[in-house]
Amino acid sequence: MLEATNELGNVALSTGGTLTDPSAAAALAVGLAALGAGYAERGIGSAAVGAMAEDDDLFVNGLILTVLPETIVILALVVVFIV
Amino acid sequence: MSAAGSSNPEYVVARVRARRGSLYGDEEYRKLTRMGPAEIARFMEESSYGDEINALGSRHGGVDLIEYALNRNLAEQFDAILDWSEGSLYDLIARYLRKFDAWNVKTIIRGAYTDADQSAVEVDLIRAGEFDDRRIRRLLEADSIDAVIEVLEDTIYGEPLREAYAEYEETDVLVPLENAVDRAFYERLLSGLGGDEPTRQYEAFLKAEVDFRNATNALRLARSGADIDPAAYFIEGGDLFTRSSLARLAQNLDELVEYIGDSQYGDELGPALRELEEADSLIAFEHAIDAALLAYGDRLGTVHPVSVTPVISYILAKERETENIRAIARGKEAGLSPDEIESELVIT
Repeated sequence: MLEATNELGNVALSTGGTLTDPSAAAALAVGLAALGAGYAERGIGSAAVGAMAEDDDLFVNGLILTVLPETIVILALVVVFIV
Repeated sequence: MSAAGSSNPEYVVARVRARRGSLYGDEEYRKLTRMGPAEIARFMEESSYGDEINALGSRHGGVDLIEYALNRNLAEQFDAILDWSEGSLYDLIARYLRKFDAWNVKTIIRGAYTDADQSAVEVDLIRAGEFDDRRIRRLLEADSIDAVIEVLEDTIYGEPLREAYAEYEETDVLVPLENAVDRAFYERLLSGLGGDEPTRQYEAFLKAEVDFRNATNALRLARSGADIDPAAYFIEGGDLFTRSSLARLAQNLDELVEYIGDSQYGDELGPALRELEEADSLIAFEHAIDAALLAYGDRLGTVHPVSVTPVISYILAKERETENIRAIARGKEAGLSPDEIESELVIT
């Protein structure tokens, strides 16, 4: 996972040209943030489903905790509006 | 339920932590020590043991009902954990749960040795290990020790048992067979563990368990003064003892106690050792060892929250719970007072 992110960064730096374009960089920022959020949700989601399987009342808590990492994507989206 | 693919500790740990919450606490134990067997069964029916008590209630009664319900519940819980886990997590948990396979194999061999009734053997099995129902059925149907070994041919117990069988035929005692099963289990337990920090901690925990078991065995032998070779009961894999040092220390109780006190477990077992010297009670020491192991597992479970350690800590706590309830039920049957029973329990 982390290695892949590194490689992506290398590609972004080495190719130059199109990716140094501000809007392309902003798009990349949002994409990477979404990737990070997805990875975080993987762990939280499986834990939440596990907890729900034991106790149905935990559905709401599980749902809230699962989508919390989405905030990272929303914050990253701010970049799109600044550039 | 496989060892392939990536592991999923988040899911398993979340479920296990939820189950951990429903284990009996101080309050429940205090209530249980004041109940009769029938009331204990009723109490269990209303908690997480409901299904088992209902399923077995028509065939058994009294303390037997409690005992069988505990065994069956233990098996179902641990089977479920194996069902949920995948990848390396499955491997790590299965290593530990194979001790129930070892227990089942030994029970079945003893059953075949004494020509016990098939159903009498069956109720004593704990189907929590890796063996599936089909293999257990075939094991139960085997009417001689030779046939039992044949069924186990393709498992880790096949070869060691086959080797020990010759010795059994000469002497007609079960000790070589049972030692072979134990040794096969412990060899697999610690072989090829590696990888990340939690796994190393898990290995340290398993080694501590082996060490504690050796220490208890040595203490028992030293106290009884019986003329038994301690090396025959030695379990490989621990850090604390070697075969020869255990044989030497088991001769002398004072030296043994001093040796354990000076070891890396001195801090955890210090109070227990002092109690052993003062009260001269081996039972208190064994309980202290169990409590130390439980506390150790708990600590690992909080240090590495998303790893195999919380699962192992739950498995230990669950085993302890069934042993506590069994002690209460048996104590009641024998007519012990609540205080006496409470001293038999290990509660952390």
